[in-house]
Amino acid sequence: MNYTKQIQDIAAKLFAEGKIDVFVGYRMNGFDDNQVPVLITDPQDVSKLVFTDKSVFNLVNYLKTDHTRRKRVGLVVKGCDSRSLNLMLTENQMKRENLYVVGICCEGVVDEAGQKMQNCVECVVPDAVVSDELLGTPAGRRPYKVNVDIAALAEKPLTERATYFEEIFENCIRCNACRHSCPLCYCAKCCIDQETSTLYNGANTTSAAFHALMTWSLHLAGRCVDCRNCEKACPSHLPLHLLHKQNESVIFENFQEHMAGVIPEDRGAFYKYSLKDPDDFIM
Amino acid sequence: MNVETFVTDKAGLQKFYEAIMADRETYAPVEKFGKFDFKRVTHLSECDPESPIAKTQSIKPLFFPRTAKVMKYVATSAGTDVSEVDEDPLAVKRVILGAKHCDARALQVLDKVYNWDYIDTDYQKRRENTLIISTRCDKADAHCFCTSLDYDVENLNAMDVLIVNGADGKIFIKAKTEKGSALLNTDVTRHASRVTETDAAPELKKQYDAFAASFRLKMDYKEVNAKLSKIFDTPEFENVSGNCISCNTCAFVCPTCHCFKISDEKLKDTGVRYKSYDSCNNGYFTLMAGGHNPRPAKYRRWRQRAMHKFVYYKERFGENLCVGCGKCTMACPVNISIFEVVNQVTG
Amino acid sequence: MEAEVKDQLVSIEKPELVAPPNWEPVIMGILCNWCSYAGSDLTGTSRIQYPPNIRIIRVPCSSRVDPWFLIKSLQTTADGVLVSGCHPGDCHYITGNYYARRRFLVTKKLLNFVGFHENRIQFSWVSAAEGPKFAKVVAKVTEDIKKLGPLHLYKKENFEKK
Repeated sequence: MNYTKQIQDIAAKLFAEGKIDVFVGYRMNGFDDNQVPVLITDPQDVSKLVFTDKSVFNLVNYLKTDHTRRKRVGLVVKGCDSRSLNLMLTENQMKRENLYVVGICCEGVVDEAGQKMQNCVECVVPDAVVSDELLGTPAGRRPYKVNVDIAALAEKPLTERATYFEEIFENCIRCNACRHSCPLCYCAKCCIDQETSTLYNGANTTSAAFHALMTWSLHLAGRCVDCRNCEKACPSHLPLHLLHKQNESVIFENFQEHMAGVIPEDRGAFYKYSLKDPDDFIM
Repeated sequence: MNVETFVTDKAGLQKFYEAIMADRETYAPVEKFGKFDFKRVTHLSECDPESPIAKTQSIKPLFFPRTAKVMKYVATSAGTDVSEVDEDPLAVKRVILGAKHCDARALQVLDKVYNWDYIDTDYQKRRENTLIISTRCDKADAHCFCTSLDYDVENLNAMDVLIVNGADGKIFIKAKTEKGSALLNTDVTRHASRVTETDAAPELKKQYDAFAASFRLKMDYKEVNAKLSKIFDTPEFENVSGNCISCNTCAFVCPTCHCFKISDEKLKDTGVRYKSYDSCNNGYFTLMAGGHNPRPAKYRRWRQRAMHKFVYYKERFGENLCVGCGKCTMACPVNISIFEVVNQVTG
Repeated sequence: MEAEVKDQLVSIEKPELVAPPNWEPVIMGILCNWCSYAGSDLTGTSRIQYPPNIRIIRVPCSSRVDPWFLIKSLQTTADGVLVSGCHPGDCHYITGNYYARRRFLVTKKLLNFVGFHENRIQFSWVSAAEGPKFAKVVAKVTEDIKKLGPLHLYKKENFEKK
């Protein structure tokens, strides 16, 4: 999967026609074959842009920063990234007319070891669902499969799961990188960081980590697109996808919702209801 | 001072570590989810003192904990009752195995700020009670640049005991401080043989030279420091900070960052006060009452970070705050390298 | 008189922790103002007894309940939580409880996934006329939580049970 040339041409054309102020894409990191995001404002830097199966980071995250706010932005999005973009647009975080979206029909990205990432193996929507220009051949929807890790954990007894998750929450250092790298966490100040609240916990105890990660995943439920930005950002390598995929599987099984952000103007699962939603767990 | 120097082999080194663990509280890198963090260990099998630098957290949390309870309070009509102020689980006599030398150097640098206008007695006690055993790296990692900075890596005495891998499986154990000498003179070294400093010197030098040649990153520190102090207003900072996501990770893994915040977890009249890590890269770092944010723009926060690491601390305390370990670059979700930033800004 | 030999009650998520003798669970009740709270009021005025373990908080609607509240309750003194609202179709704000029941399902499943027993948080629809039902609901929840033992997972510092 290599769209380097096409993206460089598109970016050059956009700058030449004066259609954008900044182009968000990927560049080589300068010392090995991995890539990092780059925000290009100078048309002469367009030659730095690349796009291969190592273009991992979800760039929609940059639409919440100073550098792109109220500017005209050109952006490269893969399948999952485009869904988070749809949700951002639905939730009125930016204007569609300020964006030029280069959509990719993604064949999956690999991690630093060269292995295809788990969310790509299980990907349901590989083609970008919103774009001004689509590169690649659409592969169409794939059937939804329950994530293998949560299927395995669900089989284990309660006490084993309790111990496993306790280890995870113990190793969280409350750096909040997961929230900052998630494109859908755009609250100016997170609810659990409000110092005046009695619910505040800034400390790095296990209970604080549990509070932060659980609240975060529940506020993201129905909106998470499984881009794995959070997991890659976590300095303690916590398997954060377990929480999000668990919510996703419950939503998928019980509410028959499409994956988040597939249909434009369609909000997440928690913003809708059906008269037929499961009720039997309520007395 | 006769510098205690010993030579042993891999098996002897293991016995050395085991002897230390047997009767001292020991901290060493323990693996969890693919990353190594320093935790209390009682057996060599639980840890790996030779953990790869790219995956190992620093030893800073053993001196400046990620979260420390400051006190517990209960407010009654008679006044406020403050309790649990004295406990400091880290202030016991302990040994750290497998510290990287950049980490050990970081503590020497931090000593200055913790002994400045306010003497941080907690930190002092922990420093006095801790013995640091460091293995010199054989090869630099992709992001390391410790040899380019302002300290002598070869003759560093930030650690108490230095371990160097020599040729043909020989491993040298050398005391660097009085505390280190005292340790090596006990029977923990019973499986090693004494050598003189002069005998060991050529092998140590050879290892160091090979190590110094393995660096991908080299900079002219003096030039960088001189240039940086003059270019506060350069617009280059906007360009280099473009893809930062202000996530706090760099400050949390950095062995020399020392910003903290105080948080109260309270319920009506009782509460617990914690001191935990904070980062100047955070969007709402030092938010003031009334809502004023001293550094609202991202490039200003990155400028602060680069200048603090390479200019301000040197001006005030005479040491460069950045020790060139590269942990920030490894941990950064978008791999921003402070080395690259500083070079790009100074042109 | 011979001493009775009782089975020791343990915390179900952490069997190594034993409940103190005569332990009584603390149940957090979050009731919607228009139906469930009024219903619980009717239970009281009808002089129907229900276990005193429940502590009630009134919210305007069951959809006011953010999953965050449930997490926070479990991290403080509560051993279990009961959230109660209007029957579907009867919500004072028309659609609040429809949104709420989606959130409740996902929260319950996630808490179970990370190691809480699924009976730690429970939900009910109780209308303003259902005084006796509320008493039955509280009795059932209290009984369930009693069997599960004290909750010891992720308690905040001030609320750890000694």
